[in-house]
Amino acid sequence: MQRPDDYPLGPAYDEMFAASGDTRAHYQLLHTRIQTLGALELADRQQTLERSFLLQGITFTVYGGGEAAAERIIPTDLFPRILPATEWAKIEKGLTQRLKALNLFLADIYGEQKIIADHIVPRDLILGAPSYRRQMQHLYVPHNAYVNVCGSDLIRGEDGEFFVLEDNLRVPSGVSYMLANREAARRTFPGTFRQAGVKPVERYPDLLLATLKSMAGDWRPNPQVVVLTPGVYNSAYYEHAYLARLMGVPLVEGRDLAVHDDLVYMRTTSGLRRVDVIYRRVDDDFIDPLSFRRDSSLGVAGVFNAYRSGNVVICNAPGTGVADDKAVYAFVPSIIKYYLDEDAILPNVKTFLCRDPVELSHVLANLDTLVVKAVGASGGYGMLVGPHASRAERADFAEALKADPENYIAQPTIQLSTAPCLVDGRIEPRHVDLRPFILSGEKVVVTPGALTRVALKRGSLVVNSSQGGGSKDTWVLSDDGRAPPDLPDADGVDAESAL
Amino acid sequence: MMLARVADSLYWVGRYVERAEHLSRLSAVMLNATLDRTEAGAQAAQLARASIGDPESASLADPFDAARALVLDRERGGSVVLSLSGARENARQVRDQITTESWERLNLLYLRATGGRAERDFDADAPDFLQGIIADLHLFKGAADATMSHGEGWRFMLIGVHLERAQLIARLMRVCFSGAQGRVIDDHLALVSILRMACALEPYLRVYTADLHPRYILEFLLFDEEFPRSIRYSTARIEEHLTQLSKGREIGRGDPLRLAGRLNARLTYTDVEDVEATGASAILNSVEAECSAIHQAMYETFVAYPLETRLPA
Repeated sequence: MQRPDDYPLGPAYDEMFAASGDTRAHYQLLHTRIQTLGALELADRQQTLERSFLLQGITFTVYGGGEAAAERIIPTDLFPRILPATEWAKIEKGLTQRLKALNLFLADIYGEQKIIADHIVPRDLILGAPSYRRQMQHLYVPHNAYVNVCGSDLIRGEDGEFFVLEDNLRVPSGVSYMLANREAARRTFPGTFRQAGVKPVERYPDLLLATLKSMAGDWRPNPQVVVLTPGVYNSAYYEHAYLARLMGVPLVEGRDLAVHDDLVYMRTTSGLRRVDVIYRRVDDDFIDPLSFRRDSSLGVAGVFNAYRSGNVVICNAPGTGVADDKAVYAFVPSIIKYYLDEDAILPNVKTFLCRDPVELSHVLANLDTLVVKAVGASGGYGMLVGPHASRAERADFAEALKADPENYIAQPTIQLSTAPCLVDGRIEPRHVDLRPFILSGEKVVVTPGALTRVALKRGSLVVNSSQGGGSKDTWVLSDDGRAPPDLPDADGVDAESAL
Repeated sequence: MMLARVADSLYWVGRYVERAEHLSRLSAVMLNATLDRTEAGAQAAQLARASIGDPESASLADPFDAARALVLDRERGGSVVLSLSGARENARQVRDQITTESWERLNLLYLRATGGRAERDFDADAPDFLQGIIADLHLFKGAADATMSHGEGWRFMLIGVHLERAQLIARLMRVCFSGAQGRVIDDHLALVSILRMACALEPYLRVYTADLHPRYILEFLLFDEEFPRSIRYSTARIEEHLTQLSKGREIGRGDPLRLAGRLNARLTYTDVEDVEATGASAILNSVEAECSAIHQAMYETFVAYPLETRLPA
């Protein structure tokens, strides 16, 4: 099958079409299906999809602006993004390796700090980072699992290779969209889904619960797990409620918890009840006003002391942010080498650290080709995409760089791969990334699926939902793709009956 | 075992849902009654508004405008739209405790009643619009009944429904039959409207036939054991659910279960003759006051208790 003429291929790697214009093997089934459906039917299914998201309340709320609070769905694209088994096997191995190394790194940083003593990573980069929590020093974390839930961002470069762009080790979100997108895709393309042999993602909630329970396993036989949310006004509230519901554990807010004699309790209708594991979806800063930010009203006073006393487990551990800092990122391949004595299976994107004067001058000279990011920022903020910025914007950023070089890194602009999306009734390529979710407690588990984020504006490389991004389902196949079984071959003779 | 905050939210879902249903029904009856341009119709509309503390203001003298404001006005406390928002916002805060089936009913209803087309739909065909809301609220209650576990959370929600219902019906009765309006209501059409406001016309007819009389209506709406909108039916449910929720708890003075038991006993052992002798307002006032006391006692017992008294042993 061939690429249609109105689907332009750019320099980026396209997920569906090879450079020759042929449909890639693992996309054959879907491409055939799309062609038989036609534009009207596709638009109709897109509408059904959006309506079902709105009905389920899979929305984020935009408050303020005079009018009553508006609820919007995160735009969801109809077509799944498909990954063949071999590619996924490599991703899975690479992510497992990476998370193991990062957990060992955190155990070392909050322990003996050998990696600093051996001059693999600079001392000031770690101990000077705002995300470093000295309160965590010498604190026992079961299985050395500091990062229980990780959502790494992967991108595919022009040559088709996957890179890790970012490790999200604090409170990564988006997994509810992975699950909701899957549910929707099963309804949108039931036949194709069945034939394609897609690996299931539906076990994520029970695997998450097992991971969380394994963090308390050695001293409480049947641990009480809770999900701690900042509350209904948080943009990821839907996800917090969704995970709590699917795990069957209480969804608590800070005001539902109380600490007494270094034990954590929740207020129930029949008195106080002990809590053992807190899957917190609240940032480090806000967990405990006694230990971190004093003005926080989202957390629980005294919970960190309860944690230090070993009476409760906080997941992810506070202070994991020190390992996903954009500057520390550049050292991850060396970190893997140091702890595991292996080469990184998934490569990093080439990164220039502006704290180094030589690299800074290189960055300043090449601002028009680089992406510059503030070390502390996330969500697509504080970022300059050189090739898309105006001369004035680049000049402004250069000043900021010179004033505070420690705060910036730069990377070459990578053309993220493109995947077919339904935009205004037409099928067009849009840039996508890949966020798989990795769990780690007693063991490390990679869910065979991911959230594929989509930059919905034509040509845009920014996929963050706060910047107008959307998402789509991600199918991991149990093989490398095959032609539709009931499709006659080129001669019009069914291959099997010809035997 | 249930989080105190969650129990409180579910209780409010029940209250708000019931309030939205009652207000929708009042508006529908009001619009319908005034179609006739009779004295009785005007009187019914006036009673409906008085029962929810909405005196006939000059600006909204027209019953259509009054009903429209009662349903759609977001600025005013106790409109249908605000009650629906309240129910839905509370449900959203305990989304993990409500089954998807019930949540989707409520969410859909909220989206429709607050959406951009709501005002147009109301203006085009108000009775149809209100009928739709009432039917959707019944669907929500049905879905909750059919899919939620009939455990603690569900009981808190139903206590909310029945406390709200008992208070609303008591207030409606008080306005109609305690002589506060300065005259006795004996017009057949006005009495029909009153029964409609309590969704009681057909069940009443089956018990008393088409012989409409204030005394029978009072008896039916206060004491009937089987009609789900009589006050006694509600107080019996409140006591029943509180009994289940109070297992294993010490029942002291001022406990919500004691208050509920007392109120229910009073309705069980009072006759309509006693009410006629003393005037309806005495018993109706005390129903309202005691429902408020139960509400307060529940909050203090289940939600806002002092920590040091409730540590596990």
